[in-house]
Amino acid sequence: MAEVRIAAEPRTEFGKGGARRTRRAGRLPAVLYGHGTDPRHISLPSREFEHALRTDGANVLLSLQIDGGDELALPKSIQRDPVRGAIEHVDLILVRRGEKITVDVPVILTGDAVPGGLVDHQLTVLSVAAEATHIPSSFEVSIDGLDVGDSIHAKDVKLPDGTELAGDPEAVVVHVLAAPTAEQFEAELAGAEAELGSGAAGGAEAAAAAAGDTEAPDEDAAEGGPAEDQTPES
Amino acid sequence: MLIPRRVKHRKQHHPDRHGPAKGGTRVTFGEYGIQALEPAYVTNRQIESARIAMTRHIKRGGKVWINIYPDRPLTKKPAETRMGSGKGSPEWWIANVKPGRVMFELSYPNETTAKEALNRAIHKLPMKCRIVKREVGEA
Repeated sequence: MAEVRIAAEPRTEFGKGGARRTRRAGRLPAVLYGHGTDPRHISLPSREFEHALRTDGANVLLSLQIDGGDELALPKSIQRDPVRGAIEHVDLILVRRGEKITVDVPVILTGDAVPGGLVDHQLTVLSVAAEATHIPSSFEVSIDGLDVGDSIHAKDVKLPDGTELAGDPEAVVVHVLAAPTAEQFEAELAGAEAELGSGAAGGAEAAAAAAGDTEAPDEDAAEGGPAEDQTPES
Repeated sequence: MLIPRRVKHRKQHHPDRHGPAKGGTRVTFGEYGIQALEPAYVTNRQIESARIAMTRHIKRGGKVWINIYPDRPLTKKPAETRMGSGKGSPEWWIANVKPGRVMFELSYPNETTAKEALNRAIHKLPMKCRIVKREVGEA
């Protein structure tokens, strides 16, 4: 994976006010740490960082120019606004050339499952130890020919040279489940629809039953009492 | 339908609706999801209705996950009742959903069908929502 050169600036303003001013200026608040050094508060150009993330993936190797020196870093944690999706803050971890680091690499499935099988993609990222300058962008796993009940484990994924598995080798990456039969499917949905269509009164009765309230609705004296902490016998 | 088996207090205060979701804002199990864009109380009936709508559309070829649980009771006083005389009876079970929360997830091989299924589910929900895809390997 190629290095992306980004000009970083040391940050002097902290707290939400300072962070917001930094973001308004088109820069991204970030912190850089690792190898036992003190954390350094920096800011990165938002557009360049987002572009690097989009084109090179989450494990993009950044070459940061700070105070005339160059530092290699990887994004460790990215905080986003949950609704807008904009990046709010980045944690960067220092790496060295030739150093082996543990990173999460995405697993991409290729091919089609057998008819009547449901593909259960359980592990979407694989934790691997790789050289900081040679992190694979993704691993392709073919599910062609997998039958119902078959699975592919982490140890079965082909890794490039110099990359080792860091997580559990027995972890299931993808599993093919049997799809429910037409009768099972219809019976399950018909039951759910019947329960849903049983009327609004069912809601209150069910609520009272779940609350352990089998007596009159105005029996509020025992609110929070021990009787309500127990599961109803019937 | 989703209902808690037992609760500590059968009548609770109304849950706080302010602020964004603090977690569960990404698609983690499936490939696509429904993300809330507004705060809302989602009842267990709405959750079930949305699940049935999307399951009916994808038929047997996909998997659905529900990431919210209606664990908060809401009470209601009977009609034409004077104020006072204590709190009403539990009437609904609701999940307190805040903006950004991914409520449902879906895994299906065909993207067009998956999005149509999620669209049908969105029509059963009480707030503005959008369809989101899983981000590939972001930290």
